[in-house]
Amino acid sequence: MPSTLPENPQQSLDKVAQVELSQPAEGISILRLGGCLDLKCATRLWSELPGKLSSLSSKTLEIDASGIESCDGAGMALLHHLASGGMTPGVPVHLSGLRPEFDTIFNSYSAPSGEDPEDPEGAPAKLSIPAGIGSALSGVKADFIEQISFIGHISSGIASTVFDRRMMRWPEVLRVFESAGVNALPIVSLISLLVGLIIAFESSQPLEQFGAQIFIANMIGLVMIRELGPMMTAIILAGRSGSAFAAELGTMKVNEELNALQTMGLDPVRFLVVQRVVAGVLLTPVLTLFSMIMGVLGGVIVMLSLGFPIVAIYNQIVSSVVLGDVLVGLAKGAVFGVIVSFVGCLRGLQTKKGPSAVGEAATRAVVSGILLIIVADATFSIFLFLLKK
Amino acid sequence: MSDRSNPVIRVRQLSIGYENRVVLRDVSFDVAPGEVFVILGGSGCGKSTLLKHLIGLHEPIEGEIWIGGENLVASGGEHRRRVMQKFGMMYQSGALFGSMTVLENVRLPLDAYTDLPEKAKTLIALSKLRLVGLAASAGKMPSELSGGMQKRAAIARAMAMDPGILFLDEPSAGLDPITSAGLDTLINQLSERFGITFVIVTHELPSIYSIADRVIMLDGRTKTIIAEGCPHHLRASAPDPWVRQFFNRQALGAA
Repeated sequence: MPSTLPENPQQSLDKVAQVELSQPAEGISILRLGGCLDLKCATRLWSELPGKLSSLSSKTLEIDASGIESCDGAGMALLHHLASGGMTPGVPVHLSGLRPEFDTIFNSYSAPSGEDPEDPEGAPAKLSIPAGIGSALSGVKADFIEQISFIGHISSGIASTVFDRRMMRWPEVLRVFESAGVNALPIVSLISLLVGLIIAFESSQPLEQFGAQIFIANMIGLVMIRELGPMMTAIILAGRSGSAFAAELGTMKVNEELNALQTMGLDPVRFLVVQRVVAGVLLTPVLTLFSMIMGVLGGVIVMLSLGFPIVAIYNQIVSSVVLGDVLVGLAKGAVFGVIVSFVGCLRGLQTKKGPSAVGEAATRAVVSGILLIIVADATFSIFLFLLKK
Repeated sequence: MSDRSNPVIRVRQLSIGYENRVVLRDVSFDVAPGEVFVILGGSGCGKSTLLKHLIGLHEPIEGEIWIGGENLVASGGEHRRRVMQKFGMMYQSGALFGSMTVLENVRLPLDAYTDLPEKAKTLIALSKLRLVGLAASAGKMPSELSGGMQKRAAIARAMAMDPGILFLDEPSAGLDPITSAGLDTLINQLSERFGITFVIVTHELPSIYSIADRVIMLDGRTKTIIAEGCPHHLRASAPDPWVRQFFNRQALGAA
């Protein structure tokens, strides 16, 4: 039963492809291709041919390609797919008549022996769910071990570098102090002031029911000085400077600057990380102090607007907050500063290859930084509680 | 081989530059179909800038650029996009998209412009990669490839839509002589077997002698073309002594 594919009449005459499918004898189909087998025509044939071919239910398929005058990559892909039996599974296909000038391009579609294009090497294998969980957990474990060993590396780096004037590079410490500390003052002050304001304002309403609004002063003093002052500072620092450290070191790693340092016999930890950690330890308590003052100021503003005299507010705060609370807050600040700069540098040094690697390192620095700050704060609370007992 | 009466690229009285600074003025040349055309010149003389204008990334100050019989400068929107599909471009760094595998990089133009089924697009992309000898690395990320492999993958991507013209910006810069010679062979094969026209910016004299049908030489001082012709011919008898010196001295240094 002969059947032909009608041509698209809209195509221009000189660019037309001739396609003719016939079945001269039972079980033998002949596909004649000719003219210009281009992208447009190949796209159409790719969707039409499989249906036509399967409706013929032939035992062998002969492809006569002698009429093909020109052919692009898409046309050749179609021809190759046809010739390798991709559209007629289980049916032997025989291709004949292809002009010799198309040989090179036609052959570029067949994989030479030894190359397996269907499973290109390096394709990541899909893991089952338990295997995925296991692999993620082992990643967490490896990361934990790396963090511990990095703490050791930094500690030994600090011990050996701080008194070595040439390696310590104090100007670099000052630069970090300025960019991560001084320049962060406005944002830390503003956020702390607003946090203090919000807490005082929100608590004034329930406390009013008990006539206990004067205790807003006690609360704001304790909360801002012991908890939120250090915490807000550290979180801002993690977002602002931890990510900057990671991006800075990450870019250096991508540009092979870290390799260059190592070739010169300079340890990146001693040359780059120690300065940032030292700057972090020095600047965070200062920023924390600012944050405490601004937070308390926010509370004071609310109380003044509620009509309390400034002397009463002062007496309340001084009676509830002792020097120990301020020292605890500053100690927390120092610890958080170490965490932020340490995690930022670690994530920066762990930067992988590729264009998104630096961004990923910065993200990881912020996420791990904030997580570790909260964990450290919880540890502080438990430790101080046990100490009091 | 080349049909000079019917050029695929025709540049007329082109002046280009940035803001108020003119980089090149009054540049005119033709590129014949199937020709390997090399743009030469000292560093900073505007070779890459010229190339960026030829592919329509920047607007010229004045002049005309005709590609395949259509005026690139005057065209806009959809029409310009169609003109731009007639050529492929390989950037100096390869400019492969780092978040995709090599195969996905080569498939990208096919995904964007054709309605072919997945299988067909993969077949075509793999065949282009095979032409540049990279089919085995199809599943790798660009960052896992060496510099020379990245450039070859970029050529495969530029060829994905079977363009008639390929623009290459410094294809052999930073490559070892053997890899660079392999790239030259590839360019010669593609131009001879598939009739692809090449416009290449390069400094490497050995590679110019082995691939170029014709060169133009740009000069940073006069800001225009100072020599045009076959490189062997220019080396022997260029009218400008500076051009002869350029070809000979560098050739001696490279030998």
